[in-house]
Amino acid sequence: MAVENRMSARLTNGLTYALLLLAAAITLIPFFYLVSSALKTKDAFFSSHFLPRGDGWLGIDWTGLTLEHFYVLFTEPSLGFARAVINSVFYASVFSILATLCAAMGGYALAKFEFRSNKPLTALVLASLIIPAPLLLAPGYQLIYRLGLLDSFTGLILPGVAPAFGVFLFRQAMLNSVPLDLMEAARIDGCGEIRMFFTLIVPLVRPMMGAFLLITFLGAWNNFIHPQIILQTPEKFPLAVAIAQLKGLYSTDYGLLMAGTVVSIAPVMCLFLLLQKDFIAGLTSGAVKE
Amino acid sequence: MPASTSHPRWAPYVFMAPFLLIFCTFMIYPLVQSIVLAMQQTFGPKTTVFVGLKNFRDLLGDRFFWIALRNTFVFAIASVAIQLPLSLGLAMVLNRPGLKGRALFRLIFFSPSLVGIVFVAMMFALMFHERDGLVNAVLRTLIPHFPPEFPWLQLYVMPALILAGLWMSVGFNMIYFLAALQSVSPETLEAADVDGANRWQKFRHVILPSIAPVAGFVTLFSLIGSFQLFELPFILLNGPGPENRGLTVVMYLYQYGFETGDLGYASAIGWTLALILVGFAVLQRLANREQ
Amino acid sequence: MRGRFQRRCQDCFDLLSPGGWIICILAVAASLVLLFWPIPKKEGLVFWIFSQTHQRLYDPMTDVWNRAQPQEDRIHLLLLSGSALQRRLLSGFLSGTPLPSLVEAYALIVAQVFKGPLEDVGFADLTDVLHQEGIYEQINTPSFAPWTSRGRIFGLPHDVHPVLLAYRSDIVEAAGIDVSDIATWDDFVRLLQPLMRDLDGDGYPDRYLLNVWETNPELIEILMLQAGGALFDAEERLVMHSEINARVMATFVSWTTGPNRIAVNAPEFDAAGNKMRLDGTVLCSLMPDWLTGTWRQDLPQLAGKVKLMPLPAWEKGGRRTTVMGGTMLGIPKQVSDFATAWRYAKYLYLSKELARALFRTTGIISPLKQNWPDPVYDEPSAYFSGQRNGRLYIAAAPDVPLRTSSPYNVLARVKMGDGALALKAYAKKTGQYTVEELLPEARRQLAQAESLVRQQMQRNVFLAREHD
Repeated sequence: MAVENRMSARLTNGLTYALLLLAAAITLIPFFYLVSSALKTKDAFFSSHFLPRGDGWLGIDWTGLTLEHFYVLFTEPSLGFARAVINSVFYASVFSILATLCAAMGGYALAKFEFRSNKPLTALVLASLIIPAPLLLAPGYQLIYRLGLLDSFTGLILPGVAPAFGVFLFRQAMLNSVPLDLMEAARIDGCGEIRMFFTLIVPLVRPMMGAFLLITFLGAWNNFIHPQIILQTPEKFPLAVAIAQLKGLYSTDYGLLMAGTVVSIAPVMCLFLLLQKDFIAGLTSGAVKE
Repeated sequence: MPASTSHPRWAPYVFMAPFLLIFCTFMIYPLVQSIVLAMQQTFGPKTTVFVGLKNFRDLLGDRFFWIALRNTFVFAIASVAIQLPLSLGLAMVLNRPGLKGRALFRLIFFSPSLVGIVFVAMMFALMFHERDGLVNAVLRTLIPHFPPEFPWLQLYVMPALILAGLWMSVGFNMIYFLAALQSVSPETLEAADVDGANRWQKFRHVILPSIAPVAGFVTLFSLIGSFQLFELPFILLNGPGPENRGLTVVMYLYQYGFETGDLGYASAIGWTLALILVGFAVLQRLANREQ
Repeated sequence: MRGRFQRRCQDCFDLLSPGGWIICILAVAASLVLLFWPIPKKEGLVFWIFSQTHQRLYDPMTDVWNRAQPQEDRIHLLLLSGSALQRRLLSGFLSGTPLPSLVEAYALIVAQVFKGPLEDVGFADLTDVLHQEGIYEQINTPSFAPWTSRGRIFGLPHDVHPVLLAYRSDIVEAAGIDVSDIATWDDFVRLLQPLMRDLDGDGYPDRYLLNVWETNPELIEILMLQAGGALFDAEERLVMHSEINARVMATFVSWTTGPNRIAVNAPEFDAAGNKMRLDGTVLCSLMPDWLTGTWRQDLPQLAGKVKLMPLPAWEKGGRRTTVMGGTMLGIPKQVSDFATAWRYAKYLYLSKELARALFRTTGIISPLKQNWPDPVYDEPSAYFSGQRNGRLYIAAAPDVPLRTSSPYNVLARVKMGDGALALKAYAKKTGQYTVEELLPEARRQLAQAESLVRQQMQRNVFLAREHD
């Protein structure tokens, strides 16, 4: 009896790992494809799917590998790639900091204060979550045009700094993690409201801060439509747009394209590795409760 | 938890102010403005003409719009229908007690959602190449008599999009399900064991009801997200694709608004989309209430 | 004292997780970099182009110009991809984002600009200045067609782009066929059909006569133009559903479908297509003047094996050429210094030197009639077996049909292509492959396509107003 159980347990264990490994392989194959494509020379590109096969060590044609695509990417002046990287870093980081700040303050106000407009405002924020972003593309563009903010970073960053989703998340987080008595105690001690926010409240919702910072950084880093529509001067383009432009109509330099894509996802991967725990904790804490 | 009453009166308003200011300017005002816009025809934001409900009447008879709507519906429903069981299944496998390397697997499955749609589109454009693409190479080894050219991006556009979308989103939803599974109370599970319930019954009567709220949330947001499909086919096919097979509602909106300059028609399309999504949200609310 | 400071630092540090601090540092660093790396302001006039070949040709001439001009009149060329140029140009016209002083654009882009009211067309109206300076008469009249909307001309034409037929002279002459006997498309099929042989015994011919396929509807459109049909008339009105168009479409499908087909799909700019051309799998191609340069570069192995001949006509005595493609030079209305921009435009486009260099590099003939006697066009081409391709194209130039400038042309072309594909499917289903059998269905498909396009056109209130 016990032996049979152990056997069936081993079988399901084995199956589990096999399944997971298969799923992991399917998930990771595009990444391998990406990196190996970025390293292959133009001639070796279509000779095989991953590393070019040949007579070298381990059956790989090492002469078919090169770093020239990365070199061209950063030194070719007409591509403006180095500048695009800086633009993306600037846009994503400034955007995420401003958005997180606004969302945290907004969520704080809605969660921890009793005031007349609290209920209607909360309802308004929740309702706006349903509005699909594309609906606002056209009128938003018209508004930015009227404000004279077209083709500027301000026009790109400012509209998104009020994330309703962020307020919703922070409201949940504040409701769960910020005890009222602590706030009362600080007030009795004579602590000013703003000082209290930064020194007391923010550390209490640190996981959510980290999670939201990363989400918005990610969203801004990968954002393609808005920069494409609002920015027109090529020197202002972020990475996502610069890479999309590498795809030509007649002939595409695939090695260059793949190298550009590697450059665009590497920073994000690193950031995620650092913020992993906070991110997942923060994300789930905002959603699981009703 | 009761909110504080001993605060200075200005406090909540000051904290809400930055958010509220930008929210009203860049979300409420354009929302209202979009109703006006939807009743105009424009050639860029400068040149506008009032046309009343003509845009909506034209939409009803616009064959491209219906093609876009059909494509979007098919993608959204097929995507969500395939994705959710996959995410749930993966989460359940990952949730098994005593699994080694759970954190690593979680990271691996989540990584596709980090990379952005431009990356996915570029990668899959190469991988779906009809002759030399990776996908066809794999299929060729698995299926005998597989044709030497399988034009994913010309004839089988929708399956290609669904596959690419799956790769991107399964891991993300899996995280939500994982968290939900971990909050299923162990006592109820034990009680079910004691009652002699088998695995399927445990799943149906204990696990499913307890993750229902999260499942509802994930379904709704996945549907809403899928309905807004645009960048993936746009970059993958360099436009709507052959015979408009990759045309989606948001792509049509973009083409009219930003390639032709008719922001009015684009707004009308946007409102139609919004109404459909509001319909879904209302349905979900009703479904929740019945439970 | 020190303990309190340390605690203060610790408190500060606890505000955010380490990842959060990294983002803050990135924000500050990136802001500083951008602050001290300003976007260089370009002095003088900017000229947007999309063709690398043009950049190579224009650079030396622009250098000469720049050396003789003060700083503010200098020209800077900026190379953009076609789609980027289109998007930026439209955004500039419609929303006031930065525009260049001069721009080279092709028909697809320019047509978009004509979608609104005439007063909102972003290019400067050159009609009057062209007539006043006598330039209008110097240029081959059909070349103005795609850049003319509602009677006003908005660009300086770059080309004529007549189309001839290129054929494998080595194979055709070896079979003893004299191409001067070919006057119409019927002659073409009849006389060259014997060349379609099954060389490897698999039951299918290994040689086809013509390189056309429904997946490139532009080819159908230019054949319609040759026959006297068109998708739009000179007043930009939709005329898709016409007898001539139906006949051309039915003939086209009869060429590509069925047991007696004579055409094969060998797309240009494609590795597989090129292989077919080299192997002799396809014998003839429609050859606009710009394609000769591409063949010389990409298919050097065919040197001395191809020749050019006038297109077979649709009926005896009919037109023996058509037109494909086109580029123009436009000056945005909002330019601050129109006089200088126009001066440079004339300097570049009316230059004999540039015309010669363009012809020698790409095979493109100049639209200026006064350039046509130039001896450069009489240079025999080794590639075309000693033929004087320049002279041949110039002979065809005055007959070139008019292209439309309608913003709906692309849509009409796509819908017409869909109709052709549907006709092809119909042919396969019913087993009817001759022109007469396919004609009724072709008419039906064109009527359907026309109604679809008309529906989209009728939406446009700006154009509707002006047609009243």
